[in-house]
Amino acid sequence: MTLLQLRDLHVRYPGEHAVAGVDLALAAGETLGLAGESGCGKSTLAMSVLRLLPPTAEVDGEILFDGEDVSTMSWGRLRAVRWAGASVVFQGAMHALNPVHRIGEQIAEPIRVHSPKTPPARVRERVAELLAQVELPADRAGAYPHQLSGGQKQRVMIAMALACDPKLVIADEPTTALDVVVQAQVLDVLTRLVTDHGIGLLLISHDLAVLGATCGRLAVMRRGRVVEEGPAHRVITAPTHPYTRTLAAAFPTIGDPASRYNPATAGEPPVAGTEAVGEELLTIRDLRVTFGATAAVAGVDLSVRAGEIVALVGQSGSGKTTLARTVLGLRKPDSGQVLFDGKPVPTSTKGLKAHRKQVQLVLQDPTSALNPRHTVHEAVAEGLRIHGVRGDEADLVRAALTDAELRPAEKYLGSLPHELSGGQRQRVVIAGALALSLRLLVADEPVASLDASVRGEVLALLLRLRARLGLATLVITHDLGLAWNIADRVAVMHRGVIVEHGPVEDVLLRPHHDYTRSLLAAVPRPDAGRTAEPRADQGV
Amino acid sequence: MTAPEPVERTPGPAWARRRAAARRAWGEFTRHRAGVLGLGVLVLVIALAALAPLITDADGVDVTRATGGRLEPPGGRYWLGTDESGRSVLLLVLWGARISLLVGLSATLLSIAIGTVVGILTGHFGGWGSALLMRLTDFFLVLPSLVLAIALSTVIGPGVGTIVLAIGVTSWPSAARLVRAQTLGVEARPYIERSRALGGGHLHVIGKHVLPGVLPLVLVNTTLAVGTAIVAESTLAFLGLGDPVAISWGSMLRSASNSGAVTAGAWWYLVPPGLAIAVVVLAFTLCGRAMESVLNPRLRER
Repeated sequence: MTLLQLRDLHVRYPGEHAVAGVDLALAAGETLGLAGESGCGKSTLAMSVLRLLPPTAEVDGEILFDGEDVSTMSWGRLRAVRWAGASVVFQGAMHALNPVHRIGEQIAEPIRVHSPKTPPARVRERVAELLAQVELPADRAGAYPHQLSGGQKQRVMIAMALACDPKLVIADEPTTALDVVVQAQVLDVLTRLVTDHGIGLLLISHDLAVLGATCGRLAVMRRGRVVEEGPAHRVITAPTHPYTRTLAAAFPTIGDPASRYNPATAGEPPVAGTEAVGEELLTIRDLRVTFGATAAVAGVDLSVRAGEIVALVGQSGSGKTTLARTVLGLRKPDSGQVLFDGKPVPTSTKGLKAHRKQVQLVLQDPTSALNPRHTVHEAVAEGLRIHGVRGDEADLVRAALTDAELRPAEKYLGSLPHELSGGQRQRVVIAGALALSLRLLVADEPVASLDASVRGEVLALLLRLRARLGLATLVITHDLGLAWNIADRVAVMHRGVIVEHGPVEDVLLRPHHDYTRSLLAAVPRPDAGRTAEPRADQGV
Repeated sequence: MTAPEPVERTPGPAWARRRAAARRAWGEFTRHRAGVLGLGVLVLVIALAALAPLITDADGVDVTRATGGRLEPPGGRYWLGTDESGRSVLLLVLWGARISLLVGLSATLLSIAIGTVVGILTGHFGGWGSALLMRLTDFFLVLPSLVLAIALSTVIGPGVGTIVLAIGVTSWPSAARLVRAQTLGVEARPYIERSRALGGGHLHVIGKHVLPGVLPLVLVNTTLAVGTAIVAESTLAFLGLGDPVAISWGSMLRSASNSGAVTAGAWWYLVPPGLAIAVVVLAFTLCGRAMESVLNPRLRER
């Protein structure tokens, strides 16, 4: 029986046609994945099901929930349907929970709203039941959100969504901002609940691999329209629409020699440039950094050679970001050494300034890494002005933008960050670093917040910069596919120590440490139906 | 050493953008009728106060050369009547605006300047120094301003400067707290970290990122604070802490109450300065509110 049926759905905002004629159907017990990049209208589509859109949105077409049209429902009926009929797991569990209430109360809230006469003991029982369903111990009900980890918060969100036994659950990017291992656990919980309770699940994500591993059917959205729809396995392995093909190619299969040193890009494929690797540039010896009682970095040895791309992988909280900050001198080590070009990283203000001319940082989210009031020109010229670099500023800025492949540079000089796309913003950040006499780039999750199609472009840029300028890069990531795409060597970090490191092929294809194996096992396989054996024998 | 190339070589696009932003802001401001009205009143009052020596005769406010009778009611010669020395109340209100506005504006500038510096320093640096500074702020916050002002004037003598100092010193803590909160918000943004990673020092981070980020707030706060400062000036002048010779709206109210104008039923001596204070304070507040909604788009829909 059809649970949710969308017929020729249109959603218009002033000046924007967000959803332009979508037909979709979802049966009870079925999982439908909705894939697409930012701004394609997938979240708008999801919110329209429960009429959660802002008042400026104009909705046309039919939204049938259990045979009833949501758009003509009375307010009281709509209230009853919200949560008891269909519920939402919102994006960003970090912010969707109220920090001043215990999670038990928050899970109980919809139960109290929808059936106010439920005796308190029964509510408590139900909360414990829900917590058990999402595999959290019952005593966690008394915890406040800040006492939970990201994955636990996301499970609480799922428990909340299930509180009133809905027939339909809409999960909007439920695993974004979670690392691979936690993501795998959360997806597991979701899939199991669907099969156990016969709930219809609409899963929204920009990550085709996540959807492929979880959903039975897949719909790919682009510019408000569904461009391809079909069984998940078929859509991913044999996409018919070129756009789906780009999305499917964006995330590499680890072990696939075709994607080694070859991130998916629309332009010319980059060269590996491994011959650019030279002398040792950065040496870290027995580095220790502590925050109060916890050791974020507990004795790390790592080196990066000139022109080398090294990936530092690990879950969130493994200390990899702290390590990056220490390399830049943004954080002082407790003990151990960080040597750059044979000399220790200076601690004096003047020495640090000179050090930062050669070592630069690229942050995860380019949107917040750029001052919204500064134009591209000002953002790129910032470093030049700080260091008082001689020469024509306009020329230097143009050259840096051209190096970062923002061409023609003139077109972007006067733009403000909000006028650019995510990929363009990240290029501006990289250009700001390139404008200085850069030798080592420390990139902290450089593509984690970018759309799938842009991801490959930015990674290809890093490879090209290495081949052309001999730029060394230390990439910090939880994305093993990224390491497979561009890195020469990989170091796996777990609880402040590096548990395994070596050439990418060795570590990712023949892992020795259990932790590396568990990381690799957690990577979602888009073609879950098919066993993807690493083809190590083919070599690279 | 040869001077490095002037780096600010291409102001072109940036300035064009700033001009465009200013035009947009003005367009938004003019949509607030109350704000425009307030601005109009302010322009008029400031122009009259500035031009007072040109359009009127300074002799009119000299007690020794007063021509009118004692507490004459409003009439053809004196539109708003006369005071106890026979001076025109209209003329006094006009001249009083000069001191009232001057004190209001300079006291506000003083308090906002102290508040902004303290707020940015405590927000940017942290550590025990800023903790100390914040406790100092809290100390000033709980200090009864009137008592401090009276104490100050007994130490340095009554006068316009004393009033400016008294208002400035007692009203900066709220501005400091506001600026500090905003500074902390800006400091948490990753672009500050990028700026540091680029090699930017404290001065660069504060000057390029923090100050421009908090400035709109400071501007709005200034406009709103002027009204409060004018009221404070009137209070202190009424209590006799001002220069006894200088004419301000507060000192007019003081002489009106001292000379028995209230018992004599001489409403024309009391109402004009009181009304002037209310109108100017209201005008500043209307302007400030309009500016606030221009600079903070989130308030616009409310």
